[in-house]
This record gives sequence, structure tokens and C-alpha cells, in this order.
Amino acid sequence: MPSGATAPATEMAAEIVVALERRPGPFDPTAAERLESELGRRFPGRPARVLVVRVQGGAASLVPADDPALMASPGPDGAAGLPGPEGALAALLRTGAERGAAAMALVAPGRDAGGGDWLGKLLAPVVEEGFDCVRPAYLRHRHDAPLNTGVVYPLLRAAFGKRLRQPLGGETALSLTLARRLVMDPDWRRDAGSAGSDAWLLAKVLAGRERVCQAWLGAWPGASAPPEDASDALARALGQIFHELERHATRWQRIDGSEDAPVFGTPGALEGEPPRVDLAFLLDAFRLGQSELAPIWSHVLPPATLLALRRCAACSPETFQLDDGLWARIVYDFAVAWFAKLVERRQLLASMTPLYRGWMAGFLRATRNLDDAGTEARVEGICRAFEQEKRYLIARWRWPDSFNP
Amino acid sequence: MWDETRRIFLESLWRMLHSMARQIPGVAAMLLFVAIAVGVAVALHGPLKRLCARLGLDRRLREWGIVPAGLEGRTAPSLLAARVLTWTVLAVLVLAILSSIDAGSVSVWAGRTLAFVPRLVAAAVIFVAGLAASRVVERSALIGAVNMGIHSARMLGLGGRWLVAILALAIALDQLGIGGPVVTVSLGILFGGIVLALALAVGLGAKDLVAHSLARHLRQTPHVLEDPQDDGGELHHL
Repeated sequence: MPSGATAPATEMAAEIVVALERRPGPFDPTAAERLESELGRRFPGRPARVLVVRVQGGAASLVPADDPALMASPGPDGAAGLPGPEGALAALLRTGAERGAAAMALVAPGRDAGGGDWLGKLLAPVVEEGFDCVRPAYLRHRHDAPLNTGVVYPLLRAAFGKRLRQPLGGETALSLTLARRLVMDPDWRRDAGSAGSDAWLLAKVLAGRERVCQAWLGAWPGASAPPEDASDALARALGQIFHELERHATRWQRIDGSEDAPVFGTPGALEGEPPRVDLAFLLDAFRLGQSELAPIWSHVLPPATLLALRRCAACSPETFQLDDGLWARIVYDFAVAWFAKLVERRQLLASMTPLYRGWMAGFLRATRNLDDAGTEARVEGICRAFEQEKRYLIARWRWPDSFNP
Repeated sequence: MWDETRRIFLESLWRMLHSMARQIPGVAAMLLFVAIAVGVAVALHGPLKRLCARLGLDRRLREWGIVPAGLEGRTAPSLLAARVLTWTVLAVLVLAILSSIDAGSVSVWAGRTLAFVPRLVAAAVIFVAGLAASRVVERSALIGAVNMGIHSARMLGLGGRWLVAILALAIALDQLGIGGPVVTVSLGILFGGIVLALALAVGLGAKDLVAHSLARHLRQTPHVLEDPQDDGGELHHL
């Protein structure tokens, strides 16, 4: 048992409930049966119930896999993945709490097709080790998911003090205790637009007293949708995270440093081609942003940062690098600007795209010749910079007007 | 002769004084009405300022980039808006008073001006809203163009801004009845020219960019800046 684990969940006789999100297209009911039988073998004596998320009239509900309505409907219209009391997570929490399920899991669209015991690995820490929330970690190429590497992971780690390598993983496993607490959460009424999002769930767990861990589930199965544009991905992820930072401001300001979250499983080795990115295009995008968006950034970033960015833009491609501390302060400045509404929020997040591309160019260049361990050490350096600069975030968050643009 | 002159002078003076005396109650009433109008306008100034503060007008205008940051104190947009509204209320009340009292040609002029006020206010609101929208459009277009890697992003932003501003001006002039069909025809020619220029630009030089942009919006391929190469996988940001 990893450090941090405690006694198993007390609801021993209850079942396991899994909510399977559908991807567009025809539905294969045998996938649910296969998952049920796999879970039956993995957790003998504990019945598993795999239900499918069905969206009707904009509201998600969980129905059995052999429901004839599933065959008739063409597939999700996108509402299931949306947060709010009508989303898939809310449906899972309600169903799990009503049925008194010992453990429940939310499975992203398309994940059901993969073989192996990945669902068992995801649920085992809840069922067998008494954890309240399990976040998935997938084996991905060291250059893949740069937004997670450079922003999401370091930011959430520095804010909430838990080292979850892939915090916004999509899938999750939850205990009954946590589900009951979340079902009663007033955010479903007060902030229906964001309650139920991945970041909302994670922040609730990290800011609360629940025990959270991460489980390696093998190679990343791929997204259920085509890759997002950098601007869209950045706006979606950071919009959610900044919103949660605002909600839990009193909590994260009291956290200093970070600690390892218990980890189950091992990453393993990855096969396949790395994603290829044209560094010249990224650098060009950064320089274009630096020359054109500087007036907008001047509402967000202090003069010293703007000067540093100007110097970076003048660097040659071989020496280009955004310093870790500078990058951490930039992300924090955008968080403060989001909170203080210094610039309209959608425009603010969109204007950060060239900076993110610039950071990505520097990171990819610096880790081009490193192996996985070397790259991970580089990521650790970024995370430490975020933790060291957290005092800067706290100071600016408390007195956002102290920097007068 | 002196007696005759004095008689005529006194009679004239008497008529003049009599005439002036007849006007005094009207003038006094008008001054009283103006004082009431000033009182109403001054009384509205405070609540208007408080309403602007409650709506967070200054912050919202700064947030959308409609006014530059740093406008505070006497130059704050909320104060300016409160002043403009106060003076508008005062002017309308004075015109209403002038048109209602029996003051000959002044009343007629005031009545005509008062009838024009709704159109004037509507035109002013359209123009100001258009100017504000043009700033928002400029910033959005600039950011969007930069994120798409377009090097003439600033020009695109400025173009969008001026298009919206000119459109607002044309609608405002049309509302005022100034220019007649000239404004509409000019605007039609201007927009027609722009659309033709864009069509030529897309057809001749930017078809690849538009194809990428459309594909991105239709969720068929990743963004041009992070396109996977033939020998590599797709990059997922998250």
C-alpha cells in the first residue's frame, strides 16, 4: 500500500457503478458487458454495473447498455461532456449515491474499446485501498500534452500542493463518501456552469480532506475528438483552472510546497512516433504575439516581464528559452488578470496563446535531445519554479492593483 | 413742440414699460422652470454616478478595451457618462419648457428641436455603441489573427475597427436624416469593394489559410502551427 493510503472503504457489500460516455456513432453494447465481466474477475464478490451515459433533452442520465433507446439514438450531442447538474458526472454521482455504490468511475468516450485491466487499475485504489478519488495517469510521449506539462501540472501542483502528473485526465474513480459530499455541494445551484467539470472535481478533492491518488493506466488511448487548437485548449483548461483558483483562494493561499500523491502502477514504456512540431512556426508565433499583442499584455504583465519577453523575442532560435521563473510569473499574472477582470476573460486567455507557444518552443528545444528521465527532470524544474514563485501569485492576488499598468 | 415730444416720449416709455411688465411673469415663470430643470438634472447626477458605479461601467469598459486603463478621477468614463446624461436631461427639460411657454418664435424653435431630440439621442447612442463595439472587434480580430499566424494582424484589427465605426456612423447619420441616400450608397460601395477585395485576396493568395481555418472550425484537422508531419503523430495539447 503506498504511503498515504488508509483503511478500505466501509461500504463493503455495495456494487461498483461505471458510467460510460458514448462517442458519436453506433453504440456497441458488448463493450459494457466486457467491462462488467472484467470487473467481475478483478473484484470477485462485488457486482459491477456498467451504465451508459444517455443524453436526452440536454440532460444526461445513466441507462443500461441494452437500453433500446441507445440503439435508436445516433450518439451524444455533446451535452454529456459539459459540466453542470445535467452533465455526466452529476448523473454518475446521483446514481452512485442512490445505489450506495462502493466505488464509481466515469469513463471518457472511446475508452471502452481498449483491452486490459485499466478500469480495474483505476478502481482498485478506491475498492481495495480506501482512497476517495483516483486520477488517471497515462503513458504519453514526453513531448505530447505540453499544456499539461508546462501549465496545468505545475500550476495545480503549486496551488494545491499535490503532485498529480496528469491532473485533468478525463476519467476518474470516486468513493461513495466523496460522491455523497459532492452530490450535496451547493455549487450545482450556485455555479451550474462550472460545477461538474474536471477541474471542479479535482479542486474539490484537493481542497477538501479526501484522499486522492493517481493510477498509471498504460499507454494513452488517444482523444475521442480531433486535437484542439492551442488557443482553444488553453482557453478551456485555464478557464476552468482559474475559476477554481478563484473559488478556493482561501485554501490554496495557505498551502506551501507540494507532496507526492500516492501512485499505483508504473508508467511502462511507450512505443510509437513522437508528435512532430515545427519549432520555427512556434517561435514565429511567439514573436508575432510579442510585437502585436504587447499593448494587451501590458494590462496583465508588469514592465519587467514585458522587457524580458522582448529580449526573448530577439534571441536566436538556438538560444531561445523562457526562463522557468519568468514563465511561472506569466501564468500567475494571467491568473490574477482573470480574477481581477483586467481584460475580458476570453480575450485574455486567447492572448496568452503566443506566450504558450513560445514556452513550448523553448521547452521542446531544450528537451529535444533528452531521454524521458531527463525531460522529467526538466519538468520538475518548472514545477519547482512555480512553487517558488507562489508568493508572487499570493501577493498579486491579494493586491491586484499594486501593479498599475 | 417740446411738450409734444415729451408726450410722445412718455407714451412710448409707458408702452414699453407696460409691455415689459406684461413679459415679466412669463420670464419669471421660465426662470423658475429652468431652475426646476437644473434641480432635476443635479438631483439625477448623483444617482446616475452611483448607477454607473454599481454596473461597474469603468471596469467593464477597461476590461473590453473600450477605454484605456488609467482613466480615473475626473476623466473616468462613469463620470463622463453621468455628466453627459445630466446635461442631456437639462437640455431636454429646457427645450420642453421653452416649447410649452408662450414665447413666440422661440417656442416654435424649441418645439421643433424637441421633436428632433429622440432621433438625436438614438443616433448618439448608436454611434457611441458602434465606437465601443469597434474597439472590441479590433482587439478580438487582432488576437484571433495573431493566433492564426497572420503577420498583418494589426492591419486586420484596424480594418475591422474602422468598418464597424463607419457602419455605426452611417446608421447614425441615416437616423438623423443627414445625407439621404448618399450615405447608404457610399456604404454599399465601400462594403462591396471590401468584399470584392477579400474575395480576390482569398482566391489569389490566401486560399490555403482559409482552408486551414475552415478545417479547424469544422474540427477536421489540427491547427496549422501544430500540424503533424508525415512521419509523426498528432500533438494533443492536454
